[in-house]
Amino acid sequence: MEPTGSGGGPASRPDGRARVPVAIEEAIAAAAMAAIVLITFANVVVRYFTDESFAFTEEFSVFLMVVLAFAGASAAFVKNSHIRVSFFVEKLAPRRALAVELAVMAIAIALFLVIGGFGVVLALDDVRFETTSPGIGVPQWLYSIWLPVLSAAIVMRLAGRIVRLVRGRA
Amino acid sequence: MAGEGALLLAAGFVLLLLAGAPLAVVLGATGAFVILVERLGIMSVPTNVYGGIAKYPLLALPVFILAGMVFERSGVALRIVRFMSALVGSRRGAQGVVAILVCMLLGGISGSGPADAAAVAMVMIPGMAKQGYPREFSASLIAAAGSTAILIPPSIAFIVYSVLLPQASVPALFAGGIIPGMLAGLSLVLPVLYFSLKHGWGAAEAGERIGVWASFRDAIWGLAAPVIILGGLRTGFFTPTEAAVVAAIYGFFVGIVIYRSLDLRTIYRVLVESAEISAIVMIIIALAAVFAHAGNTVGAFDAFAQGLLGVTGNEAMMLILVMLMILIAGMFLDGVSIFLVFLPILVPIMNQFRWDPVWFGILLTMNIAIGQFTPPLAVNLMVTSKIAGVSMESTVRWVVWMVLAMLGALALVALFPQLALWLPGMMGF
Repeated sequence: MEPTGSGGGPASRPDGRARVPVAIEEAIAAAAMAAIVLITFANVVVRYFTDESFAFTEEFSVFLMVVLAFAGASAAFVKNSHIRVSFFVEKLAPRRALAVELAVMAIAIALFLVIGGFGVVLALDDVRFETTSPGIGVPQWLYSIWLPVLSAAIVMRLAGRIVRLVRGRA
Repeated sequence: MAGEGALLLAAGFVLLLLAGAPLAVVLGATGAFVILVERLGIMSVPTNVYGGIAKYPLLALPVFILAGMVFERSGVALRIVRFMSALVGSRRGAQGVVAILVCMLLGGISGSGPADAAAVAMVMIPGMAKQGYPREFSASLIAAAGSTAILIPPSIAFIVYSVLLPQASVPALFAGGIIPGMLAGLSLVLPVLYFSLKHGWGAAEAGERIGVWASFRDAIWGLAAPVIILGGLRTGFFTPTEAAVVAAIYGFFVGIVIYRSLDLRTIYRVLVESAEISAIVMIIIALAAVFAHAGNTVGAFDAFAQGLLGVTGNEAMMLILVMLMILIAGMFLDGVSIFLVFLPILVPIMNQFRWDPVWFGILLTMNIAIGQFTPPLAVNLMVTSKIAGVSMESTVRWVVWMVLAMLGALALVALFPQLALWLPGMMGF
């Protein structure tokens, strides 16, 4: 993998040897960030010149933020850059520490399976009841479907990390 | 008494946290587990995850992180260091004071302590070493001064505090943080001057001299950023999110057109890295919503708050107890995480004593700031020690004095709430 740029921030501890390039999630997260900035800035400019607002786009920006959070979190699982208290685990013998880390990853997988699985139910409800979004008025499932999709991506990243942890031990 | 659900929630939280699980997973897994076991309705898990992030005020968070990183990468930090050095000149203790001022000014652009501390440490520690400052001292000082970033607006921690506690508005918190943030930063001048005069640091000639005027003209674009951010908020023309966006666009403009330091590739990396740092924070916020839902439904937070209130009914004692708790938490975790974990427990206590939510938020944030450079688990100190190439143990003899100095500033704000409340009151927030 390419290095994550020059220093800076807690996000630059690459151990990204994942076979599926993490650049995919990076691109999605960056695109979401850029879109949020552009939409909000356009809103400021339009309001300044015309006194009109298209505040209803807030709904879309807020949705982009959910995409940004999940895509970025997925990349952060690959790079192992999530905020955690590693102080106590580092005191353990390497084999114990590995066992604890594997258990933690399994719990994380279970969590995102629950979010994704019941996220599907949530999206199906939106389809069945033909819910439309409050701002723009598009079908709500166009938004809610992304929660399970992105959760599934995170589950696969976590599984990949487990595989690398087990292999790295040999 | 705390019920079964509350005990499960507390036990799961502590166990997973100590096991080194990512905080997001700690909160989400514990919350989802309690929701399953107590049959609180599993559909609340995905609903709370989505609803936890999908809030308009929270949009300010990723954009302020982006703005801070744009200013850092475009070379604004470096130019501000040069200007401050030229302004203060080379006397005993001068560079130490410069380090404090630069950290505070950068805090007025970005919202995160460790990032500021890292930027300043990389630029300043080598120069300070040439003038006789021990690297251990410089690392301690910059870690301490960098921690003021979460007090000086724009502050990510304040944005999250306001999302959790809407009666404390972001503009009020931003305005309220200015004086306490400056007090916290300036309190560090005392140990700097004392040790510099005692040991004669900074008396040596500092290489090339840069003109004050030339360096000011170079740095003016960066110096104007806090004015734009706070000015836009002050006039009420911008929401915090819009102020953040304008700051980011301004930063791109300065980096691309004025300094010509940002090319397309750098811009892309800035977008990626700021998105990732934001995501790390926001996924915690999303999963903390699950935890909060579980905790509120089983009455865990009220039970813990009542437990704390049972320890002491004395207002001053309680305030000290709360602050001590947050300071210790600050040694382990960042400000945003601490608010997400502790605010549900602290809000009932705050209401009980009718503490002002803005003042209370600022006090808590000061404690978090101090925790961030208090060994042995200080986030900021970890970063600056690594850059200085010294062990964290070796900084202890210096950093103790910085902790004491900033505790002094904290005591002032605790005793005189007007230090935090006068400015927002005057500005009409």
